[in-house]
Amino acid sequence: MIFILSALAFGLSRENTTAVEAWHTNSVVMSKDADGNLSQSLLTADDLADYAVNQDQAQVALTPGIMKGAGLREGVMFVGINADDLVSRSITLTKGHLSQNSDELVVSDKLRQKGFKLGQTVELGINNQNFKIVGFAKDAEYNIAPVAYGDIKEWSNVKGVSNRFVASGVVSKKTLVAKSDQVKAYSKAQFLNKMPGYSAQNSTFLFMIVFLIVISVIVVTIFLYILTIQKVENFAVLRAQGIPSRYLALNTLSQTVIIMVSAVALSVILALLVSLVIPTQVPMYFDIPLILLTGLGLVVMGTLGSLIPMGIIARIDPVTVIGG
Amino acid sequence: MEKLVLKNITKQFGSDTNLVTALDDINFTAEDGQLTLILGPSGSGKSTLLTILGGLQRPSQGQVAINGQNIDQLSTKEADQFRLDHIGFVLQSYNLVPYLNVKDQFTLVDQVKPKGNVTAQKFESYLNTLGITKLINKFPTELSGGQTQRVAIARALYTNPDFILADEPTAALDSSRVEEVGQLFKNIAVQEDKAVVVVTHDLRLRAYADRIYQLVDGKISLEEI
Ligand SMILES: Nc1ncnc2c1ncn2[C@@H]1O[C@H](COP(=O)(O)OP(=O)(O)OP(=O)(O)O)[C@@H](O)[C@H]1O
Ligand SMILES: [Mg+2]
Repeated sequence: MIFILSALAFGLSRENTTAVEAWHTNSVVMSKDADGNLSQSLLTADDLADYAVNQDQAQVALTPGIMKGAGLREGVMFVGINADDLVSRSITLTKGHLSQNSDELVVSDKLRQKGFKLGQTVELGINNQNFKIVGFAKDAEYNIAPVAYGDIKEWSNVKGVSNRFVASGVVSKKTLVAKSDQVKAYSKAQFLNKMPGYSAQNSTFLFMIVFLIVISVIVVTIFLYILTIQKVENFAVLRAQGIPSRYLALNTLSQTVIIMVSAVALSVILALLVSLVIPTQVPMYFDIPLILLTGLGLVVMGTLGSLIPMGIIARIDPVTVIGG
Repeated sequence: MEKLVLKNITKQFGSDTNLVTALDDINFTAEDGQLTLILGPSGSGKSTLLTILGGLQRPSQGQVAINGQNIDQLSTKEADQFRLDHIGFVLQSYNLVPYLNVKDQFTLVDQVKPKGNVTAQKFESYLNTLGITKLINKFPTELSGGQTQRVAIARALYTNPDFILADEPTAALDSSRVEEVGQLFKNIAVQEDKAVVVVTHDLRLRAYADRIYQLVDGKISLEEI
């Protein structure tokens, strides 16, 4: 349960950020008024003059839109880019090629799963402009929407703003600073947390996962408690024989650890199996370090939970079995 | 040489109006090479006396000396080690551990006391005398009451203790078994020079005793044989 939930949470959370991660962005500059929301940001050529475009730095121009074609409708994030800069170099194609003309799009793999095809003509943006899909890319989601990479010059048309504005922001591997009072710079973490819904969604899931861990620890503790209570008499006999309580407690502890480890391993396997059964549209992502961390957390907490039964064992009075 | 000595032992439970005096100024000696019997009716304090002898409980007053060493003030840890090294208990409710087979009941103790236990050969002869050689792979639930009791006796002998303290070891046995168990205890006392203390109300064991105490209402008296 915990693992499935964390995989879901992580998968969902990743849908916000795969594109940003793929860009290897460390900082973002956008207009001050956008308040951290890149797709709301509008920058003029003047604003951009201070920022070079090269392999470590790129202009991006974002706008949400609906992609329509052959009876399909999908919400996407249009991302206008330049050729041969940080972002366009970061695109990992799974099919097709990069755009060569301004009416060509490279779109997220997610859209291929939804039924869009290579070479298909689609309508996008305020003016229902026609584009052709020439490539599919992986790791291309932005704020839960699949990304459609297009020519940055088409952006103002798609968004329906004055062509005075040429981009929404600058992303860079380096740390950017605001060079005018029209713009503001964000670190990657600040930027992601400003993404609509992102931090709220993450903290909800974090809370649920922590809550689940706490519940499972309570269950484990009660389980061990009952097991121990049932065995008190046997333990007392062994104590009467002179077997030290430390030996009994350590044995119980090591068995707890073994049980916890195998239970966690089993549940990871189960969670993986479930993820195979669950439809691919449901975002799930198994992050190995995360699994190890929660697994370890469970084992440690379970072991801590066994300290209560351990205390009972330590206090067992062997006299209780001898009387009658 | 005197081995096990109780001096002016008093044991009280509860306080004020609930005060129970289970043992009242007990003086008692058990010597090695002898089978010492403590006879008494139910509730007379037999089990209490035995647990104090074995260091499971502390007396309210008085001293417990084993080979001249006082054991009544040992810490829990010291008392554990002491029991492990020197004392074999046959408990009144002959508790076996339900998820271990008969053999493992005995050998479990190897994990905390690997050395100084009886030789396989000698243990085999105990099992033979007790008639439980064939039961070695059975689990406690598969045993009758009398068989369980004999396994409990064998378990107490396994650690090769200096003292054997048995609480009603014959309660579930029929007459012929009583004779065998009585003889086994007697042999262990005499041939191996151990002090065997048996607490019982089973008068059939009188025949094997070298020394008999009567315990009534927490007061003890030595019977002249
Ligand atoms: N832990 C205890 N708390 C209070 N009273 C106790 C406790 N243990 C024993 N007693 C009391 O001490 C007295 C002697 O008990 P003990 O168990 O020694 O009797 P016994 O001779 O072994 O009896 P039986 O033949 O039935 O086993 C009894 O009155 C009993 O109620
Ligand atoms: Mg008793």
